[in-house]
Amino acid sequence: MEVETLLKFITLAIGFYMAWNIGANDVSNAMGTSVGSGALTLRRAVIIAAILEFSGAFFVGGHVSETIQKELIDVSLFVSDPQTLIFGMCGALLGTGIWLQLASYFRLPVSTTHAIIGAIVGFGVLSLGWAGIQWGMIGSIAISWVLSPLLSGFISYFIFSILQRKILYALNPTLATKRFIPLLLFFVFGSFALSLIFNGFGRFDLTLTVPQAILTSIAFGGIASGVGLLTVRRIPTPKTSLKPASQSLPFSVISLEKAIKHLRRVRTGSIDENHAKITQLLEEMHGLKREMRKKTSFPERTSEYLLVEKSFGYMQIISACFVAFAHGANDVANAIAPIATVLDAIKNGVVTQAHAIPSWLLIFGGVGIVIGLATWGWRVIETIGRKITELTPTRGFSAEFGAAITIIFASKLGLPISTTHCLVGAVLGVGFARGIRALNLRIVKEIALSWVITLPASALMSILCYYLLRLILA
Amino acid sequence: MLTIARLFGKSPFAPLQSHMGKVASCIEKLTKILEALSKGETDKIERLVEDLSQLEHEADLTKNDIRNHLPKSLFMPIDRSHFLEILSLQDSIADQAEDAGITLTLRTLDGLDLFQEDLSAFFQKCSEVFWDTKRIIEEIDELLESSFGGIEAEKVKTMIEETAFKEHLAQKQKYKILKKLYSQGEALSTPAFFHWLRLIEDIDAIAQVSEKLANRIRMVLELK
Repeated sequence: MEVETLLKFITLAIGFYMAWNIGANDVSNAMGTSVGSGALTLRRAVIIAAILEFSGAFFVGGHVSETIQKELIDVSLFVSDPQTLIFGMCGALLGTGIWLQLASYFRLPVSTTHAIIGAIVGFGVLSLGWAGIQWGMIGSIAISWVLSPLLSGFISYFIFSILQRKILYALNPTLATKRFIPLLLFFVFGSFALSLIFNGFGRFDLTLTVPQAILTSIAFGGIASGVGLLTVRRIPTPKTSLKPASQSLPFSVISLEKAIKHLRRVRTGSIDENHAKITQLLEEMHGLKREMRKKTSFPERTSEYLLVEKSFGYMQIISACFVAFAHGANDVANAIAPIATVLDAIKNGVVTQAHAIPSWLLIFGGVGIVIGLATWGWRVIETIGRKITELTPTRGFSAEFGAAITIIFASKLGLPISTTHCLVGAVLGVGFARGIRALNLRIVKEIALSWVITLPASALMSILCYYLLRLILA
Repeated sequence: MLTIARLFGKSPFAPLQSHMGKVASCIEKLTKILEALSKGETDKIERLVEDLSQLEHEADLTKNDIRNHLPKSLFMPIDRSHFLEILSLQDSIADQAEDAGITLTLRTLDGLDLFQEDLSAFFQKCSEVFWDTKRIIEEIDELLESSFGGIEAEKVKTMIEETAFKEHLAQKQKYKILKKLYSQGEALSTPAFFHWLRLIEDIDAIAQVSEKLANRIRMVLELK
């Protein structure tokens, strides 16, 4: 019994360390950009992150935890020998912790998620053989590791492209922002609500039918959009660009240019008389355009882009909150799922399939993350914020929203994915839409490499720790 | 681990603009050289041209530094080849300025009293084209902000068209001075005649390369 108490203590300690580590290192991904762009002060960012990480972990963290706890290896095979499972899970946690330390020493972009999965599978293969692993589940997790960065990159590319079309390329960016933000809020909150409530909402016994879920999301999005509508009204619109003036307006020149472009197309498709007529028309229009262009002044717009970025600062805060929530939901499992297994096995003496993750454990994980954030994470947030000032609010919003919606979706499906990799994919997506000055693509290679290394390395570590624990304690 | 922070590379656009600053100081120096020439302070020219060569060398160093820090793995919102082309055009403006300065040290410029006014007017027009182009390069920050489209791109497009027009004016001035050179050049010795010809070509190249650079910027704009 004494050994078991000791094991309980060790598991809780390592699990807490893992949660601390997640809070210390990864929360910065969500909040760093908002602090860097000045949309949030460091203190506010830490408070918001703490609240949302915790609620993400508590409300939605169970799905992924259950996957890691039960669906990676066939735990029912341990019925006769729960002790192996206890030592194994404990070893997996310890091995992951050690590997993460090593990796950060070598500056490898490894993911906590990948490490813990590798560790559990490693010990599973050792104790149960190849047959004991749920390869179907492992396969879908592996696919989700590749797909999730791609998906978040695609969503971010799409969103930033829309922002370009509708706002950055508009002739009056401020007015376009004011019109577009309520719509965007509707879309953002609606899709977020939908991804949260479909398939039941976390720990609450809330099951909605599909139409109900959609209606609720629409209502949610509508409220957000209404609040947004009232807020953006207060932004003053510079009227200069729409005032009729003696000189021609910028957009009339552009419309004329468009007409010329279309006329050219008509000309290529026509012959003889028409062709000659159109050629003449084109010449006249060219002349007119040149005249108008000379009289048109395209005014200084720098300050207006600044205003756009400022308004998007609020959107970025919202998206950062989503990322923090999603991160808590997905990553808390890395710390608490193995603890849940160990405690379950110790308490009942046998391994039970049906037990859900107890609430107090989710709270334990959430608190661990928050403490990690409070003791060390804020420093990392500050560093990140200083380093990536380039992710201005429009860019940051696009990237963060793409990542958050992907992570939430994966969490609801119970798929443990790497939040960092999702965010990397999202930032690349914005970059490919010509949004970012310079991206270091070498990191993609490093990430691919770290996938290949992490799985065997953490598996090996977990096996070593397993033997070590057995040797000392059994 | 800071993976996200490492995802962001070092932006080459600020160095590109500081390189343009170095090129501009070369043009400024050349302006001073021509002023000295018109005031008849020929003894000063030698030293000023040395300064100009030094500035051109500094610009070269900046250019090489930018190229060295542009790995293939760096992804930019404009094509890598376009970026390198913009950089090399910018640098060749400095080269041309140095060439013009050196041409002036080859021998004393005979017949200055004949062509003085035309030369100043011609140089004035050519350097205007350059200063316009420099202003376009300064707009790159805002272009990056607006993702190379919209009202900002329209503004830059207008600036480019103005630059092209100024280059056309410089060409006109060039024909004027050439015409005068050919009609009144009999007073000059053969070396002096060719000296003038070479000087005109060198100064003209500044305007031409500047205009070419401005038009390269047009290639990166996202116009509807």
